[in-house]
Amino acid sequence: MRMTRSTFLKAVFGSVAAGVFSVAASTAMAQEVSPELEAWLQENALGTNAMVEENWDDIVARATQEGEVVVYSSSGRIAKLADHFQALYPGITLTLFDLGSVKTIEKTVREQDAGIFNVDVITTGNSGQVIYELLNNGRIFNYVPAHFADRIPQENQDPLLIRVNEAIVFFYNTDANPDGAPISNVWELTQEQYRGRVGIKDPMASGSSLMGLATLVQNPEEMAAAYERLTGEALVLGDGVPDAGYEFVRRLLANDVVIFKSGSKLADAAGAAGQDDAMIAMTNMTYISRNDSKGNVNAIMADLDPVSRMVYPTFMSIAANAPHPNAAKVFIAYLLGSPEMNLETVLDKPYLEGESFDMLQGLAPYHDAGSVSPRSDVPLPAGGEIWDEMKGWDITADFMWEQGPQLRDFWLIYSSQ
Amino acid sequence: MSDTAAPRGKPPFFSRQNMAYQVYRFKNKPEIIIGVLCLGFLSFVVLVPLLQIVKDAFTFQSYDLAYQRDGEVGAFTLLHFDRVFNQPISKALFVKPLINSLKMGFAVTLIAIFVGSSLAWLMVRTNVHFKGVFGAMLVFPYMMPSWVMALAWLSLFKNDRIGGSEGLLTYLTGVQVPDWVAYGYVPIVFTLAMHYYAYTYLLISGALATVDSELEEAGATCGLGKWKRIRVITMPLLMPALGSAVVLTFIRILGTFGTPALLGLPVRFFTFSTQIYASINARNQGDAYVLALVLIVLAISFIWINSRIIGVRKSYVTMTGKGFRKRESDLGKWRWPATILVILFLCMTVIMPLLLLLWESLTLIPGNYSLSNLTTYFWVGQGNVQLAYGEPGVIHNKGILGALGNSVKLGFMAALFNGALGLLVGYAVVRGRGAKLARWLEGIAFAPYIFPSIALGAIYIGMFSTNIGPVPALYGTFTILVLITVIKNLPFTSRTGIAAMLQIHQSLEETARVQGIGWFRRMFRIIIPLSMSGLVAGMLLTFITAMRELSLIILLISPGNMVLTGVIFGYQEQDMAQHSSAVTLMLVLIIITISVIVRLLSRSAGVGRLSAT
Repeated sequence: MRMTRSTFLKAVFGSVAAGVFSVAASTAMAQEVSPELEAWLQENALGTNAMVEENWDDIVARATQEGEVVVYSSSGRIAKLADHFQALYPGITLTLFDLGSVKTIEKTVREQDAGIFNVDVITTGNSGQVIYELLNNGRIFNYVPAHFADRIPQENQDPLLIRVNEAIVFFYNTDANPDGAPISNVWELTQEQYRGRVGIKDPMASGSSLMGLATLVQNPEEMAAAYERLTGEALVLGDGVPDAGYEFVRRLLANDVVIFKSGSKLADAAGAAGQDDAMIAMTNMTYISRNDSKGNVNAIMADLDPVSRMVYPTFMSIAANAPHPNAAKVFIAYLLGSPEMNLETVLDKPYLEGESFDMLQGLAPYHDAGSVSPRSDVPLPAGGEIWDEMKGWDITADFMWEQGPQLRDFWLIYSSQ
Repeated sequence: MSDTAAPRGKPPFFSRQNMAYQVYRFKNKPEIIIGVLCLGFLSFVVLVPLLQIVKDAFTFQSYDLAYQRDGEVGAFTLLHFDRVFNQPISKALFVKPLINSLKMGFAVTLIAIFVGSSLAWLMVRTNVHFKGVFGAMLVFPYMMPSWVMALAWLSLFKNDRIGGSEGLLTYLTGVQVPDWVAYGYVPIVFTLAMHYYAYTYLLISGALATVDSELEEAGATCGLGKWKRIRVITMPLLMPALGSAVVLTFIRILGTFGTPALLGLPVRFFTFSTQIYASINARNQGDAYVLALVLIVLAISFIWINSRIIGVRKSYVTMTGKGFRKRESDLGKWRWPATILVILFLCMTVIMPLLLLLWESLTLIPGNYSLSNLTTYFWVGQGNVQLAYGEPGVIHNKGILGALGNSVKLGFMAALFNGALGLLVGYAVVRGRGAKLARWLEGIAFAPYIFPSIALGAIYIGMFSTNIGPVPALYGTFTILVLITVIKNLPFTSRTGIAAMLQIHQSLEETARVQGIGWFRRMFRIIIPLSMSGLVAGMLLTFITAMRELSLIILLISPGNMVLTGVIFGYQEQDMAQHSSAVTLMLVLIIITISVIVRLLSRSAGVGRLSAT
């Protein structure tokens, strides 16, 4: 990535904000931790007791003694790892609960409130609730394996380690648009020409879709500027609409955007070959892989004003009072991939076999176009190289926590009209 | 307490004389003992979650911090009620979805009652052809997850609003179906009615089978015409079953989620249930629970109206100790047309969705229906990393087979306990009819029907995480899955229990009692055999729903307790269409096989004399 002036400034502001935020987070955490939990944290070198250097062999030995690692996950693909993980770490059984993001948080909170501590590793998205409800309340703790710390950019490990970054993007149908992307500005989607011809994955049911919208709403000035660049006029807000971000959502709905239950069905609807009036899809980038598996002819719009990639992270962490804390550490390291991997490593499909699997380890099921490892030394997956060319915005956990509910209400009100 | 002499010539309450008398009195009123025991148990497993929902509706949740930065989590608040009923969002969150749900509920109930009772009449009271096969097949649609019908509808009728591959109709004729046919109110009502008519069909055919034809003949002797006989004799006797069917269908429709979500979303047709799920999905429990409470109030008022209508009548007794005859009316020249109509109906509701599932499970690339794209890999494949992340085909898949065992176990155990509990509740309610105890019991046994499943599951985690008296902590065990399934299905079985008991005249039991036959023997020799046809139908419903249930138990299952629906959920999440179709088909086929076996067994055991088919 080239470092332009604006990205540099943003990086500076971002790290200042992150610093302020992490101080706030750690004070909040300190309030919640009971003496018993503090003792447990100390014993297992977690939370504020995290060590800069670890004796990894010792951790693996203890993990093997613990014999099991229990994982609550928002994603079922992680189940593909069981055999490989257990072969690599004989003696540690991987027990996986595939719960989806809502139930992962719900189950964790309910169990901990009832005094049940079953789970070791929690991996799920939905940054607002993960950071504010789980991390800040001492229900989960950040753990970054020491030997990975300098290979993971700060924003991907603080306040909480990211397992994988994914993005919401816009697809267009290359059969219907042989000359390339039909639009260059997101505001074109709210114009008459695209009435009923834009599809979106239901943000009321899908956390990632809501985060994609929220990413746009989070940047009202840039959205307003993009509108002016497109039309040459200043944006006029609807009645009671707070800013340009919300105005975009309102106009999108007023333009009869079609709401889809499933992101993959949306990708197939937009991308089915042979259409001459195909819709534009706002969905998860990872479904571009259905071009291969389902014969879709989708392409990603890489150069949209003001943004073409809305990133949403999936986190991983160790649960409070985890019964197998060392096995949890080993599994988190495994999910980051082999330490021997670097940008020059050649990875071949199928990723879930042979040497590629041994290199990618826990990344293997997610090494797909549209998914990006938090590490800076992992090559981009084949077909997903476009990631670096796209202008991307990240969503902050603060915004999701504070504005997520308002955005849902807004969507609800304007979608029912 | 006091052993002083009683002032008014009555023995004091705790005297031996009075105690003996009270024991004697209660021995002769077993319904009170049973009623109290059932009420106690149900209060705990039903009322505690209900109170929790009420409490949470009035409690400031962490989600609400976004609305009130200075709010205190856990404090009392009216915020949720304000949002749902008062603030501008109320219109979108509450009013419109409620209207949609009611519109949907009335239409589906009307159609389902009409279709279900017509079919029941055809099967029980006429000489339509192939009754045996039809009778069994008519409940098949209910054994499929309801979204299968919705998916079938979409693949037939979808138009270019949702783009992608064409629907079959457009593909064949080139005609674009208008939006209102493809999505929203009309298809939702139609597909749901084709799914839920099974309640009416089962209940009415059970009741019809026990209506003595002699009663109708007596009417004919008195010169009543055919329709008048149906109106003044048959219909009134069917009222309890019909009432149950209306209640079950209507309330179920209010709570149904899958089909409206699938068919309503493209045209933004939102219902009450989709709003509740959306709120729960955001972990916005406040809104969700207030909406759930509205559903509960709606359901209770509906039941109240129903019991007012049914309850004022003195008797629905059809089973007495006297003669019993069942006569079929001859359809004459309508015999074949009626048969063909049923066949067409079954093709639409059973054959087509099943074929669609089968085909889907045999495609190499999902959605491509050409013959060259067929493969048996997803059934018999050994696991190939190139396909479906290396997941082996169904018959080699240990995860699927293990889950299958658990599902069947869960279904059987739930059905068994449900049958017993439903019978006891029915007995206590009917024999104690008019008393407060009976009314409370009836109400409380119905309450689980209107709980949002996922909320009940969430509350059970907290309730059963520690031991309660002698009962050890049930969380994480298989028992809690059975318990919650039994509770959630109790409304079916208690309704069928009540309907069955209403038809058994007390004189039968009194005769036995005069001869000094004890309660247990009366139960096993008289009540259970006579109510068997209704009871088996209720237990079968439990078995079916238990096998299909997911959102209720998803929070409570663990890998060791994995059930088939959990496996399907996983495959759907991962977009593994063939695996999910194959496992769904397998689930449906297993449900069908087991229920056919149960029917055959119960028929050969003598229940068939009374049962519908």
